[in-house]
Amino acid sequence: MTRLASAPDLAALREMLTARHEPGRPSIAICGGTGCRAKGSEEVAGAFAEKLARLGLSAQVTLSSTGCHGFCERGPVVVLRPQGVFYQSVRVGDVPEIVSETLLANRLVERLLYTDPVSGRRVAFEHDVPFYRRQHRVVLDLNGLIDPTSILDYVARGGYAALARALCELTPEQVIAEVTAAGLRGRGGAGFPTGQKWRLCREASGHPKYIVCNADEGDPGAYMDRSLMEGNPHRVLEGMIIGAYAIGASRGFVYIRNEYPLAVRHVAHAIEQARAYGLLGDDILGTGFGFSIEVRLGGGAFVCGEETALMASIEGRPGEPRPRPPFPAQSGLWGKPTNINNVETWANVPLIVTRGAAWFKGLGSEASGGTKIFSLVGKVNNTGLVEVPIGTPLGEIIFDIGGGIRGGKALKAAQLGVPSGGCIPSEHLNVPVDYDTLKSLGAIMGSGGLVVCDEDTCMVDLARFFLRFTQEESCGKCLPCRIGTRAMLETLERICTGRGREGDIEYLEELGGEIKRSALCGLGQTAPNPVLTSIRYFRSEYEAHIRDRRCPAGVCEALVRAPCQNACPAEMDVPGYVSLVGEGRFEEALALMLETNPFPSVCGRVCNHPCEAKCRRAQLDEPVAIRQLKRFVAGQGLRRPIASAPGRDGPRVAIIGAGPAGLTCAFFLARLGYRPTVFEKLPVAGGMLAVGIPEYRLPKAVLREEIEHIAALGVEIRTNTPIGDGIRPADLLQEGYRALFVATGAHQSRRLAIPGEGLRGVVPATDLLRAVSLGEPLPAVAGARVAVIGGGNAAVDAARTALRLGAREVTLLYRRSRADMPALPEEIEAALAEGVVIQELASPVAIIGGNGIVHGIECQRMRPGPFDRTGRRQPVPDPEVRFTLATDLVIAAIGQAPDLSPLLTDLGVERRPDGTIEADADGRTSVPGVFAGGDAVTGPATVIEAIAAGRRAAIAIHRYLQGDGASLWEPVRPAPAAFDPEAEPVPYGRCRAEELPAVERCRGFAEVEASLGAEAAQREARRCLRCDFRDRG
Amino acid sequence: MSTPTPGTSITVFLNGRPIQTVEGRTILQVAREHGVHIPTLCFHEGLAPYGACRLCMVEIVRGQSRQLVASCTHPCVDGLVVLTDTPAVQRSRRITAELLLATARHVPAIRELAAQLGAGEPRFTLPEDACILCGLCVRACAEIVGVRAISLVNRGAEKRVSPPFRIASNDCIRCGTCVLVCPTGALTLADIAGPPTTRHRSESQYEAPACQLCGQAWNDLPTGTGRSQQAVQAQTGSGAR
Repeated sequence: MTRLASAPDLAALREMLTARHEPGRPSIAICGGTGCRAKGSEEVAGAFAEKLARLGLSAQVTLSSTGCHGFCERGPVVVLRPQGVFYQSVRVGDVPEIVSETLLANRLVERLLYTDPVSGRRVAFEHDVPFYRRQHRVVLDLNGLIDPTSILDYVARGGYAALARALCELTPEQVIAEVTAAGLRGRGGAGFPTGQKWRLCREASGHPKYIVCNADEGDPGAYMDRSLMEGNPHRVLEGMIIGAYAIGASRGFVYIRNEYPLAVRHVAHAIEQARAYGLLGDDILGTGFGFSIEVRLGGGAFVCGEETALMASIEGRPGEPRPRPPFPAQSGLWGKPTNINNVETWANVPLIVTRGAAWFKGLGSEASGGTKIFSLVGKVNNTGLVEVPIGTPLGEIIFDIGGGIRGGKALKAAQLGVPSGGCIPSEHLNVPVDYDTLKSLGAIMGSGGLVVCDEDTCMVDLARFFLRFTQEESCGKCLPCRIGTRAMLETLERICTGRGREGDIEYLEELGGEIKRSALCGLGQTAPNPVLTSIRYFRSEYEAHIRDRRCPAGVCEALVRAPCQNACPAEMDVPGYVSLVGEGRFEEALALMLETNPFPSVCGRVCNHPCEAKCRRAQLDEPVAIRQLKRFVAGQGLRRPIASAPGRDGPRVAIIGAGPAGLTCAFFLARLGYRPTVFEKLPVAGGMLAVGIPEYRLPKAVLREEIEHIAALGVEIRTNTPIGDGIRPADLLQEGYRALFVATGAHQSRRLAIPGEGLRGVVPATDLLRAVSLGEPLPAVAGARVAVIGGGNAAVDAARTALRLGAREVTLLYRRSRADMPALPEEIEAALAEGVVIQELASPVAIIGGNGIVHGIECQRMRPGPFDRTGRRQPVPDPEVRFTLATDLVIAAIGQAPDLSPLLTDLGVERRPDGTIEADADGRTSVPGVFAGGDAVTGPATVIEAIAAGRRAAIAIHRYLQGDGASLWEPVRPAPAAFDPEAEPVPYGRCRAEELPAVERCRGFAEVEASLGAEAAQREARRCLRCDFRDRG
Repeated sequence: MSTPTPGTSITVFLNGRPIQTVEGRTILQVAREHGVHIPTLCFHEGLAPYGACRLCMVEIVRGQSRQLVASCTHPCVDGLVVLTDTPAVQRSRRITAELLLATARHVPAIRELAAQLGAGEPRFTLPEDACILCGLCVRACAEIVGVRAISLVNRGAEKRVSPPFRIASNDCIRCGTCVLVCPTGALTLADIAGPPTTRHRSESQYEAPACQLCGQAWNDLPTGTGRSQQAVQAQTGSGAR
């Protein structure tokens, strides 16, 4: 090894290394980043070395331990070049097979390939892995290629060429001008323009000058800087030396936290090597410029990432911030001009000098050049390090690179710049990730931590988590941070434990705002951000905690008995009845269900079961089949008459609409001793259950039986009795009905608003389903080609019904992607199995026909565009592609609305712009004594939501008539089922109910799904983990 | 932002009034010279500004943007526009005063200050503690007396004034400066003059330094205010090593 005395020496060294390089030479690169090491990559590397030695191949194959590849989720990662075969989660035992198959025989080891969670495809090559393909790696480019402990590896790939160019061809001013023109902004978080910072320090009077590399990366979950230092330390050093030349500094420090032992080792080693090669020290490359770098270890205090505290720590004083001005450029280390940049900022500098400001600026957004590295963590499929151009939409990072949300859950928010940043809700997925846009949304770019939160994240709890971190890391010097964040934290603790008070939200906002404005340093000034942004975007979640003592996400332990029960709109005691089923106590289980829901048979068949989506058993294998258990219990013929409250001869209450909301309200009113009368326009009771849900999902006999049980309590149901012109609602109140509950549903199909809608062969889905249910005359479906427009449950129901009516072919047209269809996934699967064809990304533009008859439907092909405010990709027309589908019948199912004009004008009840009734959660409308619930209030929603609304309204009506203190019915309280918290969960998976084969079920309207048997049900119930259990000790 | 040159004559605008001063002086200094009241707690004329209590916040105006800064540390530059009594300033001071009441609500001086600033009952309280961590005692001990017998230890909510390792320091010369500068009475004479079990003293082999003000070392102090080093050692049983 020789000291490089000049730029030509360096060029000669590179030439020599390049000449030695054999392009086709096989190499095995094993990730040696901290993540992969934790998963055993060093042992894997050892096994390769041993295997190659035994085969006598050590000389022919290059084996290297590289820096972090970024896809830490899949470690240990191994890449075989020149092909670029990418193996993930490699264990020592896989090594012989990789050598014998891939290295020697050029065959893939299938099981070690990466499987894309979105497409389900196996991917063989590194450049095809979606996680990498959508990235733009310019700073991390060499991380997986070079040995970070070898300066020669770096030099061979162009390393230190930027330094040579800066020192030999550019003046310091020209370097600063280049960095300024590139638009590089500080990657540590605040985003101050780097060129400007350098110029200030250069122009400052004082000698000597210092530069500092801030490697005190302390954000929870962020490790961009660590990976850079571990994987490519020379690039960081090269940036620092160029910066020192530009600023006129003679001494530099790398301040690394001691928790990063590998980074410390690699940086210290790189400094030694650079010094030995004459790239550090006196007279660098013979230019007369001298500069030295030392490593300083930090003790791991978060506040030491703040530049003034960091300098205090380097000087040997306690890491406490001091006010600025004076800025470090004027008075920094030991009172001398000092320039501090973060690791990633320094690593960008050589790229700008080599490839030019114009190239760099072109990478990023208007206001900010280059790329940004994020550590993408949380509830996303692909976690790891992600480098993207600044200005990339947030949604692309999460969905295209991150592969979407784990377990098919919904995205709720992304927390950027943890823990000092803010959350961005899913409606802003299309925002470019850029310093200024993020600031306008209340978040910050931060150093690059990006935590993805799914629907199961409680935003109040998350804010509390981050605030607890910053509160613990507060240095305690200034009062707003020391006591103010503590006041905020204790307020959040109260809210999360059900002790929130009115005014807490406003207090947090007021205090948080003042802390931001008055705290001494960046830590305090940003600490309130997670709280303030989550209040800004999720205020209702705070309100639910404070007013209803409810944690909607099911996280806050004090407010949640069990996640399933918490998720149920009707708050059914799921762990209660499931555990009773487990003990074979079916009758008690049924009685417990009827406490909250008079329709267990119906819900056991058609409920969308939000309980199962939250079931914690899913973290072990699959959720407990809660809906099936309900169906089993309800189908055992155990229903006994329920005694209504004794001693009341009952005020009368009128209910308009005999759907699930109206009948549930009647059921509970009757139990409270009232005499409800339900008025129904249609000839049958049941609402959408009777005329919307097809027989094959919910047999009419099952529904009738449950309604008979309700009637048996003393509920009068008058069918064929519309309220409106004949009997006016106001008349009801005068006729002695003491209160009114409006639950008229949402039966009006929305219009398509395209040409040809008026043709005879165009039918709303609700009309078709109703006609089938009531035995009314039908359009000619048999033998027809049917097109259904829409993606919800009504669309799927209509499609499957059309098949059963003998349609020749049924095509479902949906404008978004199939994954975005709102229909239940199991319904979509069933429809496909029965032969329904789904055309996704197809938007009808006109229905073609003549003489009143439909011939076809013209569609515009769509493609997924930018993210819209629903957090889904908005379909945009693909201008080239239109197609026509030949069809005889078009069924429109693009949504429903309530139709209640004549009814409500009379009552004077306020309505919302979309036509729904304005009512609170308990059903109170703007008119005292008039209550409303179900689809008429919410728009088309689920059965269980309507049932919940009916029950809440019954209680609200009771309180309205009897006063707030009125007692409810005597609750059923079965003795709890036994539970042994020490026992292991039962080891078997979820049971499946039998289904009719697809061919058979298309022949008619027979029920598709069977009930579980008693033995299977008991067995399934015992899979419950009993989250409701609380250890009393 | 250019490098300031202390000593240059400049004009600043204090609540709309043009004032001639020199670059490098703080806003608080200029305000006090011109009779503009700004409340402070951690500031003392004999000590370097510290910027911790955040009561002296004032608003500076740059074009459309306004920013709260601590007047005790913010240096004047030419053309600086300062407002010392805007609604934003009042709100900030009121909230800070309310936070002070969280621990020091039993201290008359703090109650009075909070009342002046319009702070009501604190909405959040912690156990009573008269020490508000303004650091005056620690800084006076270091900067005026030159002794550093006490310092601020720990971080955040655990932060305390303490001698090194929580063992009473023999470096203390019992000059009483810390007691004198304490705005809340959290430090008392008993802390420094009492028996060696209190927080300020313990055995030490080192010669006690002299007070920079009076030149006296603590063991030269008049009888009755202190004990000899030997007596301390005898009493604690540590003996000479």
